Amino acid sequence: MRVFFRGGLTSYRALFTWLSPWILIPTFLIGPVFQILFFAYVGRTAGVGSDAFFLIGNAVQYAALPCLFAMGHTISGERSSGTLPLLMASPARRIPLFLGRALPVLINGYGVALFSLVAGALLLGVRLPPATLAPLALVVAVATFGCTGLGLVTAALALYVRETAVLTNIAFGVLLIFAGVNVPLAAMPGWMVAVAEWLPLTHGIAAARQVAAGAGWADVRSDLVAEAGLGLLYVAIGLAMLAFFERESRRRSTLDTY
Amino acid sequence: MPVVDVQELTRTFRSGRGLRRREVHAVRGISFSIERGELFGLLGPNGAGKTTTIKMLITLLLPTSGRATVLGHDVVERPREIRRRVGYVFGGDRGLYERLSALDNLRYFAELYAVPAREQRGRIAELLDLVGLAGRERERVESYSRGMRQRLHIARGLLHRPEVLFLDEPSIGIDPVGARELRSTVKALAERGTTVLLTTHYMFEADELCDRIAVIAGGRIVASGTPAQLKQRVSGGGVVEVEVFGIPDGVVGGVRTLPGVRTVSVEERGQAQVLLVHTEPGADVAQAVLGRLDGARVGRVVTREPTLEDAYVELVRE
Amino acid sequence: MRLLAVGWWLQLKVRSRSRFDGLLGVLWPLFFSTTVFLMFRAGTQSAALLSAAVGASVMGVWSATSTAAGGALQQERRQGTLELLVAAPRPFPLLILPVTLAMATVGAYSMVATLLWGRFVFGIGVTIHNPIAFLAAVVVTVVAIGVLGFLIAVCSVRYRASWALGNALEMPVWLICGFLVPLSALPAWVRPISWLLAPTWGMSAIRAAAEGRTAWLDLAACLGLAALYAAAGTVLAGRLVDSARTHATLALT
Repeated sequence: MRVFFRGGLTSYRALFTWLSPWILIPTFLIGPVFQILFFAYVGRTAGVGSDAFFLIGNAVQYAALPCLFAMGHTISGERSSGTLPLLMASPARRIPLFLGRALPVLINGYGVALFSLVAGALLLGVRLPPATLAPLALVVAVATFGCTGLGLVTAALALYVRETAVLTNIAFGVLLIFAGVNVPLAAMPGWMVAVAEWLPLTHGIAAARQVAAGAGWADVRSDLVAEAGLGLLYVAIGLAMLAFFERESRRRSTLDTY
Repeated sequence: MPVVDVQELTRTFRSGRGLRRREVHAVRGISFSIERGELFGLLGPNGAGKTTTIKMLITLLLPTSGRATVLGHDVVERPREIRRRVGYVFGGDRGLYERLSALDNLRYFAELYAVPAREQRGRIAELLDLVGLAGRERERVESYSRGMRQRLHIARGLLHRPEVLFLDEPSIGIDPVGARELRSTVKALAERGTTVLLTTHYMFEADELCDRIAVIAGGRIVASGTPAQLKQRVSGGGVVEVEVFGIPDGVVGGVRTLPGVRTVSVEERGQAQVLLVHTEPGADVAQAVLGRLDGARVGRVVTREPTLEDAYVELVRE
Repeated sequence: MRLLAVGWWLQLKVRSRSRFDGLLGVLWPLFFSTTVFLMFRAGTQSAALLSAAVGASVMGVWSATSTAAGGALQQERRQGTLELLVAAPRPFPLLILPVTLAMATVGAYSMVATLLWGRFVFGIGVTIHNPIAFLAAVVVTVVAIGVLGFLIAVCSVRYRASWALGNALEMPVWLICGFLVPLSALPAWVRPISWLLAPTWGMSAIRAAAEGRTAWLDLAACLGLAALYAAAGTVLAGRLVDSARTHATLALT
């Protein structure tokens, strides 16, 4: 439990290093809203999708992605403080730590998503029934879990390759393009859809769009299960990779990798 | 007319995030002056206010109060005039463009410091020779050692032939050989007429190089004069050094009250602590001190003449 | 003048030697332009794809500048060179302008990359009817974007948090300057804002040159606005440097 809170507090502090409105407002309020507006207008110009399509897609992406970055920070943070081997040695510590790191980011993501949804809906003239907000919150949580999983894999890989920032940005880009954030899956070639199916966020966004349009749980269940399942899969892969790298580094005594 | 004239210079920093505000009085009303061609030393421990003072003189910081003029120009009113004629060199790794070669760095700064275009190439070559980096100027700075960077800093500081050179702890982190070369370069500069203000916390460096020294501690100047004058402050007395393994409480206070004792300080030297007792001339306190230390494990006892270092320690620890 | 040129050239060297910056500088805009290309291809207005391709390529120039401009001086601060810049006898704005101009120039690489990407991956053949005017328009737009970045960079002399502003302005400029969306599609009250932004005119000029229309009026407007920014930035810089000297924000501590 303590690990949970320690991780959470560190993450929280890292997130709010400067309690300056000059950073908070641009990053968390202006940025996400304009991403929505940008794509919505491009969509109108290109004649693809609807305003609601872009609103939901980008809001969910903005809310869920920070967890992916947070994983990268957590791992490199643990590595630089030298506690990574400790972490890998005791499975009991891992989950609370990662969850602890992810939680403040998730909560912050909720806040951002809520604001950008409301603001975006107002500016674009999209109707968003308040009854859909609660189910949307749950969908966002599941999507965040999916992203967290992928974040773990990316972070493990980054540990090996030593290029955290590049990898997380590539992950961002891949998700932006493939996960149906702004490009309808129906319009993508078969191979892209195949890739998208195996990425987090894809099913989450699909579910979110349906929920926003008023669909019930039965309709989105399969998507939610797929999203959660993928999340679990990536978490498992990520942890396995971390364990593998730890063993490798011990075998080759490359102490500074770990 | 002094080249640098400082009067009651003060600088306070206000720091604090959100609710907590702290005021740090880095420099508390210092005054000194430097004549042309002098090699002036500002000596003091870390955090004494040396760097802050220099930064005010190079117009990077505005003083909170007081006045200072460099070459007759006020640091607040006429910064541009000062910047044209003044060089700034500081120690450490930072202050250079890592991804550029030394040559590119110098080219950039030459342009920055308004060295006429025709002169640049010649001047750069001349300086590279002076600091001993000729032949390695095309390598990127990121591959340079600390000593090489320091030499490049000096070259950079001299590009525009400044009349006054401000050196902020230039030999920090440099090996003894490199530091010695640095000192001889500085001395040569002063001999050729450049006025130099040097800050350092190395006692012997100030002693060796400077014509005059001002000792600064806690933002105030606690003493100034030539190295000889400063030594005189403590001469005529003596120093008793007692090596003790674990000084019991209250002993230091007790020793201080002994007749003939000027000051007492404790220094950590490895496993032991050394009790430094500065005494009045003629006083013989060794026995009395040992008496106070009854019960503690005592090692060597030395009675000696005071050095400039003792003067410094005494001044700074007040 | 020589100062600007030397500064620009050397800053360009600094920036183009970072493997990380270079890779990401090209990749990042490509993510967005790919998304945009896919959107246009999937949409009903596929004729607009060509125009979009040109606009998408300029996105990268702005990205390179806005995200870096706010952080540029922070980088100089960390490097320990900010103080040296202020301590120089030259006017401070003349030292900062080359920095952002260099950023915009690096962004021009991504412009080429995006056009090539569009050509070879999406089969978007962009034909440029008036190459000379096009080149001129590109240069002017790069300069204008550099000057806009200059304004952001100047703010960061005093306010260390300006990088957040630069980052947040990335997409607003894409949208409001009409890179991809025609100005007529935006709400009427936005249009004056668009008109005040130099890149809007630069973008319009680039598009006009590509399509063979006259671009000189747009270019003039772009340059005029850029000059205005430069003047404003210069005045602002003076005030902010003084403020930085009072509040000691030139160094790291």
